[in-house]
Amino acid sequence: MKKILLSLLILGLIGAAAALYFFNKPLEAMAQQKADFKMSAEELFRAFDLDEQAANTKYLDKVIEVKGRVLAIQPDEGGKTGILLDAGGMFGVNCKLDDLAGHQRQNFTEGETVSFKCICTGKLMDVVLVRCVEAP
Amino acid sequence: MKKLICVLLFAAVAANGLSAQKFFTRDGRVSFYSDAPLEKIEAHNNSAISVMDTQSGQLEFAVLIKGFQFEKALMQEHFNENYMESSKFPKALFKGRITNLEEVDFGHDGTYNARVRGDMTIHGVTQPLETTATITVQNGLFTGDAKFQLEVADFSIKIPGVVRDKIAKTVLVTVQCAYQPFNR
Repeated sequence: MKKILLSLLILGLIGAAAALYFFNKPLEAMAQQKADFKMSAEELFRAFDLDEQAANTKYLDKVIEVKGRVLAIQPDEGGKTGILLDAGGMFGVNCKLDDLAGHQRQNFTEGETVSFKCICTGKLMDVVLVRCVEAP
Repeated sequence: MKKLICVLLFAAVAANGLSAQKFFTRDGRVSFYSDAPLEKIEAHNNSAISVMDTQSGQLEFAVLIKGFQFEKALMQEHFNENYMESSKFPKALFKGRITNLEEVDFGHDGTYNARVRGDMTIHGVTQPLETTATITVQNGLFTGDAKFQLEVADFSIKIPGVVRDKIAKTVLVTVQCAYQPFNR
């Protein structure tokens, strides 16, 4: 009887620990995530511009490695750096650097070509990617 | 020919004047916070867009729901999948105007209290919203800050029965935007 109670207690403790772990689990580190799609900023923007609903279905919440020319660098109200990649028109792909990651550099320059691995959140004027880290 | 040049010059001046009236940001910060027995819930989004016409007082905001970042992964997942259904309703929008525009001088440095009235659309439901905002003008540019409460039930956001009494029914929304001239 004692053995059964002890086993139940251990199982209960393991269950509680697992529940607590999953409840408090932080967001996954971007550096370890594998890209679901690799594409240029122009391709990504065009996909949203042509059919936003289809692009939402395909790309929302997905990890995207996007490559493009830096059009502008903008620190925002929250202290995060946003890097706007050229998509060939008036609007582009707005890449927000991940504030949970340690970035090797944040001194990007306008005109240089960069690749970021980010999570896609959709399109407003620009396609907005968040939690970006520079891709090797 | 002279007439044509005059018309073109006038059009160019008019176009410049019009573009200077419109200001925008693509990096607005929208945060929300709710305090309840089960958990304090806080999330931030730094990619809100907003366009403001300083002559008419027209004002628009849009924010992507999936862009809200939480501290905990499970909370972010529940927010998107169970409450906001963000795949179905990916954006929140506000369209309105400043109702006391005569009290806000965008041409002079200073801090002004603006009254804002409009319609807020969240989770596919549109509700009227009236709030105050602080507009700070400095060197020809300005920032806008606002805080307001939203009732979760007003936007048909369903909270599961098991946690209904443990999650706050109102959330405090904070908006901070630094506007730039909108030059096409």
